[in-house]
Amino acid sequence: MSDQIISISPVSAEPVSPDTKKSRGRIIFLAILFLSLLLFPLTQAIFGGMNYWLHLMLYTFMYISMASSWNILGGYTGYVSLGHNVFFAAGAYLAGILLVYQGISPFLITPVAGLLALAIGLIVGLITLRTSGSAFIISTVALILLASIVMDKWELAGGANGLSLPLMGLKMATAKIPFYYAFLILAALTIFMSYRIRHSKFGLGLRAISQDETKAEVAGVPTHIYKVLAFAISGIFVGMAGALWVYYLTYLRPGLFLSIGIATHMVLMTLIGGKGTVAGPVIGAAIFIATNEFFVAQLGSSELNIVATGIMMILVLMFFPDGVIGTLKNRNRLPRFLDWE
Amino acid sequence: MTQISQIIILGLSLGGVFALMSSGMTLIFGVMRIVNLAHAAFIVMAAYIAYWAFKLLGMDPILSIVITIPVMYLFGLLVYRVLFAKLIDNPRFVELTVLITFGLSLVIEGLLSYFFTGIYRSTTPRYATDTLNFGPFYFPEGQFYATVVSIILLVGLWALLRYTRLGYAIRATTQNRTAAKTVGVNVHQISMITFGLGTALAGASGSLVSFLFTFFPAKHMEWVTIILALIVLGGMGSLIGSLVGSFLLSALAAYVSFNFGPTWSPITFYLALFLILLFRPQGLFGKKMELQ
Repeated sequence: MSDQIISISPVSAEPVSPDTKKSRGRIIFLAILFLSLLLFPLTQAIFGGMNYWLHLMLYTFMYISMASSWNILGGYTGYVSLGHNVFFAAGAYLAGILLVYQGISPFLITPVAGLLALAIGLIVGLITLRTSGSAFIISTVALILLASIVMDKWELAGGANGLSLPLMGLKMATAKIPFYYAFLILAALTIFMSYRIRHSKFGLGLRAISQDETKAEVAGVPTHIYKVLAFAISGIFVGMAGALWVYYLTYLRPGLFLSIGIATHMVLMTLIGGKGTVAGPVIGAAIFIATNEFFVAQLGSSELNIVATGIMMILVLMFFPDGVIGTLKNRNRLPRFLDWE
Repeated sequence: MTQISQIIILGLSLGGVFALMSSGMTLIFGVMRIVNLAHAAFIVMAAYIAYWAFKLLGMDPILSIVITIPVMYLFGLLVYRVLFAKLIDNPRFVELTVLITFGLSLVIEGLLSYFFTGIYRSTTPRYATDTLNFGPFYFPEGQFYATVVSIILLVGLWALLRYTRLGYAIRATTQNRTAAKTVGVNVHQISMITFGLGTALAGASGSLVSFLFTFFPAKHMEWVTIILALIVLGGMGSLIGSLVGSFLLSALAAYVSFNFGPTWSPITFYLALFLILLFRPQGLFGKKMELQ
């Protein structure tokens, strides 16, 4: 993946730096990182006892993918959505129902879940993106509550009690490995998409919208279409993540997929890492999950975890609005290996 | 016919309480453009105060507004000082406040569930389950009292805004912040007091809803959406609007609940919120583009 990032010449919105020496270090770093991530499950296969780490890593990959995806709308375009896990639930319900009633593996359904999310994104986006600012945020909260009532009533999917999914039938020792790779690929794919969009004419349009929508419109950016597209595209990967996650959990229930906490995590990770940057959501997801694990281990209660999430959100918004990447960049201290723009 | 009138009466008897619940949020939005997503969390917090006053001191929940109003007023001042005082000149203030108050609501939810667990609670004064009969119609007694108290408080709020110097200042700040500053209104102080008043209203609603509905820490998510539906329908920032919105939607919800079952009644609010945002984002009484 890392090679691709560099070798494909982007439809660049910014002048491409001719400094190849600078980018070579980055290629090497990303290549080594990706290779070691590819090889990591071998440790489990050979030594065993790494299941906790595999779980943590694949969970991180999932959120890297979802936060990067959210960032396309929330970061590039500046439209904050608190209802993005509607896509997550859509993917999960599609994959879960097809597995239970038709026996189709969710791994095969994952791309279809992406398409479903895209379709939902286009329809919902056409409606909700008539609003902007806080009205848009509110409409996304309403969307999520609306979806959870409907899912609570949907008998085929087990209503509020949900459905149990059949297991994949692998041994404990290797059960997590397919998911590890699936989420790794998904995360890589999302980062790649995020990078390509950032450096396309489309991405430039989105960033223009986030700066000043009226001026963007005047300058000839088809703002409404762009916003709807950004909303739908940013749903794709979340939907795919949902399809994989439901199989991993082996349980489908509205509360697991439509809790506003999941959307909050996407928002918070992107904010921590730096919204509107390619690397931001990635770093943010890693930092967030690491601290979260620390809090759970130290405090040991999910209630205090909610408190910590809330406090973190307030602190980041008030004192750290540019996130890790943005702050480092503003001070010209961004290390090369994190400069993915 | 009697049946429909009865349903409408039931709806209207909750309308007053909904109006009180939404008045604080409307007031705060009007003066400061803060979309306070933590407003319902404040209500839940006050409901817990009323609950413990009822359990431990045997205090009547309606009477407990004498505790919840001042406590929540002070809490509101504190929240304003800590979170918003410095941010108010930020160009992205409105959007920031939505996320910050959302974070605040999570903090409150988490703390409440940590201390009081997620058990469903409600205060149980004698009148919570009784009914009053007027000819062929009946009123749930608790709802009747709650609506009467709400209307008294709302009239008090109206009088405060209409006839006192503080009220003039608040209304001036709502209409035009810069102009209010020019004519000598201390807008920062007015903002802080208004935020306190808004949370005090949340406090009073908390006392009243403690015996009308069961509540638990995560309940605020549902309530805040209901409140948003009410005030968006009326037009953000318009007190009269939120009053009308409350009565309209609660009557509609009672009708839906009667025809399709009580679990569907919240969907009336969510769907209404959705539709209003789409087709008339300025609400029934708001000015156009109010909520950008």
